[in-house]
Amino acid sequence: MKKVSVSEQGLVEKAKRHAAAVGVAMKESVTPLTATVFYPRERKKMPDNFRGYLLFDPEKCINCWECAFICPANAIQMKKAPAPNNRFYPTVDYGKCIFCHFCIDSCSGGALRTTKIHDVAYREMGEMLTLTEEMIEPPEIIREDKKSVEYEIEKDDLHLKRTREVDGLFVEPTPPVEIPMVSQCVDRASCLGCRVCEEVCESGAISSSSAEGVLEAEGVLRMKIDIEKCTGCGLCVKECSMQILRLVRRGK
Amino acid sequence: MQIQIQEAVNQIMSAVASNQVNVPLLQPILDLVAQIPMAGFLVSFVLWKPFFAALICPGLSTLGILLLVFPWVERKLCGRIQWRVGPHEIVWWLGGLPQIMADSVKFLFQEVIVHKDADRPYYLQFPFLSFIAALLPLLFISAGNIIAIETPYAIQLMLALICLFPLFILGLGWASNNRFSFIGTVREAFMSFAYEIPFIIAVLAMIVLYGTSNPLQMSSTGGLLEWGLFRNPVAAFTFFVAAAMATSRLPFEIAEAEQELAAGPHVEYSGISFGLIYVMCYEKAYILSGLMTILFLGGGSGPAISGLGDLSGAVWFLAKTVVVMTTLFALRTIYPRYRLDQGLKIGWGAMISLSLVALALSVVIVLVQGGIGGVEGVV
Repeated sequence: MKKVSVSEQGLVEKAKRHAAAVGVAMKESVTPLTATVFYPRERKKMPDNFRGYLLFDPEKCINCWECAFICPANAIQMKKAPAPNNRFYPTVDYGKCIFCHFCIDSCSGGALRTTKIHDVAYREMGEMLTLTEEMIEPPEIIREDKKSVEYEIEKDDLHLKRTREVDGLFVEPTPPVEIPMVSQCVDRASCLGCRVCEEVCESGAISSSSAEGVLEAEGVLRMKIDIEKCTGCGLCVKECSMQILRLVRRGK
Repeated sequence: MQIQIQEAVNQIMSAVASNQVNVPLLQPILDLVAQIPMAGFLVSFVLWKPFFAALICPGLSTLGILLLVFPWVERKLCGRIQWRVGPHEIVWWLGGLPQIMADSVKFLFQEVIVHKDADRPYYLQFPFLSFIAALLPLLFISAGNIIAIETPYAIQLMLALICLFPLFILGLGWASNNRFSFIGTVREAFMSFAYEIPFIIAVLAMIVLYGTSNPLQMSSTGGLLEWGLFRNPVAAFTFFVAAAMATSRLPFEIAEAEQELAAGPHVEYSGISFGLIYVMCYEKAYILSGLMTILFLGGGSGPAISGLGDLSGAVWFLAKTVVVMTTLFALRTIYPRYRLDQGLKIGWGAMISLSLVALALSVVIVLVQGGIGGVEGVV
């Protein structure tokens, strides 16, 4: 059996460490550091990627429902917008939300974005279900803070650094990174030649080979994908009845 | 008959008047009061040195104030060292002082519960008895030249009384009839044996060094380099650690061990009886710090404060004692608690060796300084 052993220190080293401990105690008793943030009067400076209150921009939403699918706490429900629009937008129940921000990570359009707001109060449980129209504008904020506080590690010690500035609560959303994709047929032999992909393609990137007058030996149509024209929208992948189309990264 | 009584009263009056605490600053007021028939006598009785010592300075009043204030001082000090500075919101400018009142009121008005398994008479007696026993050593502590009972055996008597404390803790732990208090009691017994022997030897070393055990003569050796701390630092260190063990506060809070034994010997206590036990460790700390001041820090010696007369020594004594007490309390923020076996190892190992070294050092110093005559003076 292995035993955990403590490294043996000499008497001098021990005495030094005791002296250091006593020295710290004496220093702290005269000029104590403190980790207390006087919250309403000052705020802790939050990082830009702080997981706080969610804001929503309907212009950027592509109705993919990805946020509702991925939400592990089931806090996001999609609600149908009124008549002329007829699209589905997310609503967030902050009674359930665990602030994992998977929804923001999964949002391909960048419609959901984070803020540094972490102190929202509700009068009753029902109000915590935040409707889409309430998510567009930030909630009413009463700022009492005059200073912002940061923790800094100096010489292995935590320090509070106070600065006379009011930290902004809103973060510029980072634009979603578009990964260029392209449609690719992975199993050409299984193609039925149904031409569904050709019909569905909006950019006209898919053409049946017959259009160029070439039929294969078995008399079956084979599709051809023009990589330059393909936008990587994935409609053909969705519609392909044999499920032999895949989206792959462009350039691979 | 009446003449006899008159003579006796006069004798007492003259005895009282001859041994007064002399405070030049208060003299005009005292002269005024002396003209009032009964008040003059009462004031001169209060200022009679033995009575003043027992009742006011190092005695009951000082102790009472320290007991009231020191839990607060300890909290604030530990809070500062451990980055828990407060209060910040509610009457922050009082620094949490109202808590003292709240504590006192709580202790006074809480119900004293005697559970049915307890040994009722002992359970109720021991907290009060222990408090009284902890008061007795105060009679032999000298603040400057103010002392209640002047005897050449003062230090020995104090030692004997200090070694009486654990007995009462054992008693109240036993009377509680609770498994936690039993374990705490046994631990207390273990620890008291572990610290008492080095403690006594360290004090013995100082008695050998001074050649006297009269606190008045010990503290009259003025000058910073004449302090016991610089003449025999080993004894001072041993005494300090033994005092930390004796107060059973955090680095050696083995008997009470909050995390393991709830509160050790006094789990079952509540109300004023708990208050007395709670306060007793502060009382112990005061007495041990006072003893440390007398033995190692020159007692009430220090530059005389003009206008205070006899009280000057008392002020110096109190200041030094408070510093020692504060240091004792600050230990809890610096060191974690030792286990029982570690505590015993420290007591029976390092501490006894250190105390013997201190004793040897004292003997050597006495031999070098005073030749054979010096030793004869001790004997």
